[in-house]
Amino acid sequence: MSSDLSILSLLSMYALMLLPLAVFLYLQLGIARQTVIAVVRMTAQLFLVGLYLKYIFQLNNPFASLAWVVIMLLVANLSILNKAGLKRGLFFWRSLTGVAGSTLFSAGWFILVAIRPEPLYDARYMVPIVGMILGNCLRSNVLSLERFYSGIRKNENEFMTYLMLGATLREAVRPYLRDALKAAINPSVATMATMGIVSLPGMMTGQILGGAMPMEAIKYQIGIMICIFTAMVVAALVNILLSMSIAFDDHQRLKPGVFI
Amino acid sequence: MISFKNITLKVHRQTLFDDVSLQVADGDKVAVRGASGSGKSSLLKCAVGALPVAGGSIRIDHLVLSADTVAEVRARIAFIGQEPVLGAENVRDALLLPFHFKAHSDNKPSEGRIAQLLERLHLSSDILEKPCKRISGGEKQRIAILRALLLDKTIFLADEVTSALDPESKAAVMAELFRPEITLLSVSHDPGWIKACNRIIEISNHQLTESVTDPQIGNQKSAIKNRSTGGAP
Repeated sequence: MSSDLSILSLLSMYALMLLPLAVFLYLQLGIARQTVIAVVRMTAQLFLVGLYLKYIFQLNNPFASLAWVVIMLLVANLSILNKAGLKRGLFFWRSLTGVAGSTLFSAGWFILVAIRPEPLYDARYMVPIVGMILGNCLRSNVLSLERFYSGIRKNENEFMTYLMLGATLREAVRPYLRDALKAAINPSVATMATMGIVSLPGMMTGQILGGAMPMEAIKYQIGIMICIFTAMVVAALVNILLSMSIAFDDHQRLKPGVFI
Repeated sequence: MISFKNITLKVHRQTLFDDVSLQVADGDKVAVRGASGSGKSSLLKCAVGALPVAGGSIRIDHLVLSADTVAEVRARIAFIGQEPVLGAENVRDALLLPFHFKAHSDNKPSEGRIAQLLERLHLSSDILEKPCKRISGGEKQRIAILRALLLDKTIFLADEVTSALDPESKAAVMAELFRPEITLLSVSHDPGWIKACNRIIEISNHQLTESVTDPQIGNQKSAIKNRSTGGAP
């Protein structure tokens, strides 16, 4: 097992933060205050999660784990809509369907088909795997939804031209759908292609620090990368398709009221 | 036939038209004029369901524009905007773009037909391989018109389509769009174009006023002025 960090060791890490803070103050970047708040928030949130997870793992009750998963899904969903600039009230259920469906599908595949822990609902697998997939889906979903709708808004003349030339809504949005999906997916393809050379992935590094053998850690890393990738693609596509039925009016015009 | 009945149109909370009506019969060539911002382009846009009207109804032939008919209405009308968007990388792809959509996938035009229309619109056949970004505004306008002609439409909504054309190209475009079977509702500032139209509609004070036909441009202006002053509340 790895050696636990003592409070003193942790404090030494906060001491390291003084360096960037000194730079911010010296250059008067005006972000020192925000940075301190961010570090305090990170500390408080992680400690709370640590406490919570400790109990979740001790309990190892499927309902308690599931409740935590649901909370993660709800928070992720709200965060996606906010960051993509879409109205929560309109899109909430549709985007939740996309995010939850794709995350649970690929997490379920990883846990039930590949890992098969004993018991199957073991919180040590369910909670972190869903969390990792969600964290990554979040970014790609924000990017794809934002790209899709801003692409249509910015190129409204082009979009209307497609409709005037006889395109159905699905046909007219296809170029923007392609752009949005590519924008969301390309960074992950690049990350996979350089993984292990340019960067050592977080989960694998964490496992190794936690005492796992490297060969064991990389197998999990490969599994989680594929899960994340699949969930991302499915969530981005499903979210866009489901959102279309409320974002356009019955004459295929983009409704102005869907954006914050 | 295009019919606007008691149309009220608001764009960005600003009223452009207040309860206006206009009938364009088959074969009519109508020019719409008015100050910039008066709603000339918007009038054309609402006929194809690109702008929502706040009141009234629009009819294209026997079709009343609604959610159910909008696709069919768009299939009947050729809409050519002021700065036409070609929507593809090169000119050939732009011309064939509508034929990739289900609505037109069975009517793909032959190379011969494209070549013939290129010639009629004074365009060289080399243009087909050029990237759309590299062609001039006047060429873009003619390519957009050519694309509409390939779709065999008979109702044309044309917004300043000759603004970037030299006299020969303009004559070529007019020869196509002023054919007797074509119904044309257009926005134009071009005296030659307006003269060739059999009806002139002026937009002022959120209303449409029909001007006398066969005008000398100068006389006509005063005729409209008198009318609108007379008609003002």
